[in-house]
Amino acid sequence: MGDYYRQPVVFLFDNPNLGINLANVFLVTVAMAIVFFVLFFMSRTIKMYPTGAQNVLEFFIQFIKNVISSTMDWKQGKHFVILGCTIILYVFVSNMMGIPFEMAAKTDEGLKYVWWKSPTSEPILTLSLAAMVIIMTHVYGLKLKGPKEYGKDYFRPVFFLFPFKIIEDFSNTLTLGMRLYGNVYAKEVLMVMLVGLGTSGVLWGIFAFAPLVVWQVFGTFIGGLQAFIFCMLTMVYMSHKVNEEH
Amino acid sequence: MEFLAVAIVASFAAIAGAFGVAIVVRSVVQGIARQPEMRGPIQLLLFIGAPLVEAVPILAIVIAFMLYGSL
Repeated sequence: MGDYYRQPVVFLFDNPNLGINLANVFLVTVAMAIVFFVLFFMSRTIKMYPTGAQNVLEFFIQFIKNVISSTMDWKQGKHFVILGCTIILYVFVSNMMGIPFEMAAKTDEGLKYVWWKSPTSEPILTLSLAAMVIIMTHVYGLKLKGPKEYGKDYFRPVFFLFPFKIIEDFSNTLTLGMRLYGNVYAKEVLMVMLVGLGTSGVLWGIFAFAPLVVWQVFGTFIGGLQAFIFCMLTMVYMSHKVNEEH
Repeated sequence: MEFLAVAIVASFAAIAGAFGVAIVVRSVVQGIARQPEMRGPIQLLLFIGAPLVEAVPILAIVIAFMLYGSL
């Protein structure tokens, strides 16, 4: 994308450090709306003997429960079912948004502004999602184990691991966010390149059609896998903080 | 010249990621072939281990993207 496509950034109080990407705000709102309304209308008719949409939802909740119980005790894990559902659905929908098409608006000066893409192809968004997850692990560590056990955990199993445990928190945030960003952004870059190739001539259009379809299928696969890995790693980091050592 | 730098960073990240994940997956396949009843726990370790191995190549590819974006 480089400098060819621009981001619609506005600056608060004309301060160059307070830039807000309007496309991100718009796309995050759309992703939240999709997740909320799909689940809202799927869960309106809850019956004793499930049919249709309720079956899908129950299968999905069971899947999240399996993910959680493979990493921690159910005694602590029961708090995180809704967190896991929220994270996996939000990341999955965000990854899928850029797959069918991308949109850019052209202004009178000939500048192109991107308005529709995967919101997770922005590092600011994935890193803030990762930071939220890591802060949440600390909050639940304090809440479920108490401040004393939480503090002691930094000196287990031996005291000189303390600096590494501090570093671990920061590197976890960085890799958790950057993994999602790297995968989704690579997908978007190659997709934009293939579309650019396909629209440069009739012959290229025929040539680029098949790779584009293959890449879209692969992008769907990557999007689902990354959403699952994000949820799984959230639960793994959570289990490091809330599991009781023996 | 700058494009060459981006290409070198991206290609080394690809090589490192491919070899790292290949080692992990090979061990997982061997483990499941040896003890098929341990499939569940081994697959869990795969899903935790492969991202951990992939983390550093991903950082390299992100640096490549940032260089590419600033050209």
